[in-house]
Amino acid sequence: MTYDASTRRDGQSAGSTAADRTFWGRLSAWGPYHALMRLTTASPRRQFLILAAFPILWVLTQHLGPMLQMLRVSLTDAYPVAPGVEQSFTLDNYARFFGDSIFWMPFFRTLTFAGVFTFCTLIITYPVAYFLARHVSRKNQMLFLLLLLIPFWVGEIVRTYAIMILLGNTGAVNLALKTLGLIDRPIPFMYTSFSMGVGIVYLTALYMLLPLYSALEKLPQSMNEAAADLGAGAWTRFRRVSLPLTIEGISSGCTLVFLISTGFYATPVLLGGPSTTVFAETIAGFFHVAGDEWPTGAAFATIMFLAALIITTVFQRLMKMLRKGESA
Amino acid sequence: MAKLIYNRRRFLGTAAATGAALASPAYLRRAAAQSGGEVNIWTYNNFVPEAFKEQFEAETGIKINIRLVDDQGKQFNLLAAEQPNPTVDIMTVAGHRFLQFIDSELLAPLDTDRLSNWGNINPTFSESDWATINGHKWGAPILSGMEVLSYNTDYVTQEEAMTWQTLFSEEYANQTAYIIQDMMSIVMLMKGYDGNMVAYMDDPDKAAAIVEEAKNFLIEHKPLVRKYYDSGAEFQQMMINQDIVLGHSWNGPAAALINDGFPLGMTIPNEGSYGFVYTYNIANNAPNPDNAYTFLDAILASPEIGAAMTKASGFISTYKGADQYLTELEKKSTSFPEEQLANLQFFRAEANELKYSLVDPAVEAIKAA
Repeated sequence: MTYDASTRRDGQSAGSTAADRTFWGRLSAWGPYHALMRLTTASPRRQFLILAAFPILWVLTQHLGPMLQMLRVSLTDAYPVAPGVEQSFTLDNYARFFGDSIFWMPFFRTLTFAGVFTFCTLIITYPVAYFLARHVSRKNQMLFLLLLLIPFWVGEIVRTYAIMILLGNTGAVNLALKTLGLIDRPIPFMYTSFSMGVGIVYLTALYMLLPLYSALEKLPQSMNEAAADLGAGAWTRFRRVSLPLTIEGISSGCTLVFLISTGFYATPVLLGGPSTTVFAETIAGFFHVAGDEWPTGAAFATIMFLAALIITTVFQRLMKMLRKGESA
Repeated sequence: MAKLIYNRRRFLGTAAATGAALASPAYLRRAAAQSGGEVNIWTYNNFVPEAFKEQFEAETGIKINIRLVDDQGKQFNLLAAEQPNPTVDIMTVAGHRFLQFIDSELLAPLDTDRLSNWGNINPTFSESDWATINGHKWGAPILSGMEVLSYNTDYVTQEEAMTWQTLFSEEYANQTAYIIQDMMSIVMLMKGYDGNMVAYMDDPDKAAAIVEEAKNFLIEHKPLVRKYYDSGAEFQQMMINQDIVLGHSWNGPAAALINDGFPLGMTIPNEGSYGFVYTYNIANNAPNPDNAYTFLDAILASPEIGAAMTKASGFISTYKGADQYLTELEKKSTSFPEEQLANLQFFRAEANELKYSLVDPAVEAIKAA
């Protein structure tokens, strides 16, 4: 839509003198304002550029900027630069990762955990999304989604502590098992890959649920009904109709959850144990340890970023091939 | 700088108003004290008593901005990143980390002539060998702590807790926790070596072999430990939740639990342990140096403030006579029998570069194993 200043002025002079007395009324009648509006709304292309300017600026300064800075630091031999030290560019920080197998274990452990937890999240949230999209009436769906969003009103750390309260030796789960007479001594859930998994699945569930819900919600009911008419059972209908048609949602959800899982720091620190050290903790170590270790931390973060990017790209390609295969 | 005075009536009024048990003096003559501005402090939780903060702000007009830190390394990196225009005036550096900060020109030498209350610090801390470097004082000692073996008295006996070996015993498998970095020094001590590594400064090969031995020991015993932790709060939570019954800890968080009535004991085991001293230091190029000195002189003004810091943090006050203001339970939780104290030595900084160049990779290896 373009702004028609003359029409607006005519309209105002015809009958709306009260509007002229308000701030906005005076502003709209102000010459420079008209000139600015004409300039900015002259063409749809210009309107688009103006609308896109803020998001682009945001992405450049808040997302790409820090990443480029991290990349720059990873290629230096000293940061922050101490007095009397000259900074120079080097690839040694990257060589340190590939040259020392100590760091491979947490790296591959992180990728494995992220893959396993993503799969678990998918298995757990798919039935929820299915139920929500297919069995809850339209007018109640928003209410259900809102209920699912409630835990996200508080931060990651608070929710992680909630898991600790549930799974601790004196936590609700152990108390319930003890009350039911199923155990004599508390089961040590905490500080294991199990407690870490519970925490990460809980924290990422919504990122999986929403794309799945979106994909399932678009799926016409008639397709399942047609399959049923042709004699397909519930499992066959799910396997041959619902699942292939929601691959896009699965792909988006898995990508989101996988990427988030590779970067978790606080949750593994709080819920994990001695054998669950993830790469984010290794990276953080380089920033905590006093000394000239930031460039190594930045290099390791870049390596993890690239690895996650490659894995998700391959995964997306596979899903695309799968989609094409199903539709062929 | 304005002269500090002691005024019990004003202290009682403030204490009553805040409802705090903390006893502290009026710090400055009001007329001379309204200098205003702010002082920015990086410190650990509870190291600036809340009642002191309120009274100091009211009497001086200087606003105290506290940023909590939980790690010496993080503090170093933050400050290094901010130099030469730091946002901080006062940091909290452990005495054995002085050298690292001084070498990087992050600390300003302390002008003790500007601190009329400097004499309130016990000379054991203010005049010890680590406190003077390059002919200067670099910090005002406020609290002292040590690495101890803490144990739940319902499950572990004091006799068992008199040796670090219990921490690695099958009997308490998966009921223990420790900070790996600190345990590396302790394991070296357990095995009869110098955990400060000062003795091996001229023999880096021997130093490397000792660190390797300590590393292998901790990797071998990794299946027995429940959690490698980082902060005192984590330790307290694990104890309260009974996720652990035995663990290496700093005495501060352990003493705080004891004062809360938790059945906890702590020992300095027979093999020995290390002590450290927290100091308040002025940052090089601090934005508000005058306010920083005003704050330092005020916080050193009376033993009651030292006692309040002990009550809140659990660490032992370095102020003369601070123990007079502690309850019997607080005294008990912040003191050790003479025979145990004989096992204690302080962390030293001379060999830090050699030590941490070996220990840091070893810690990563233990975590990764």
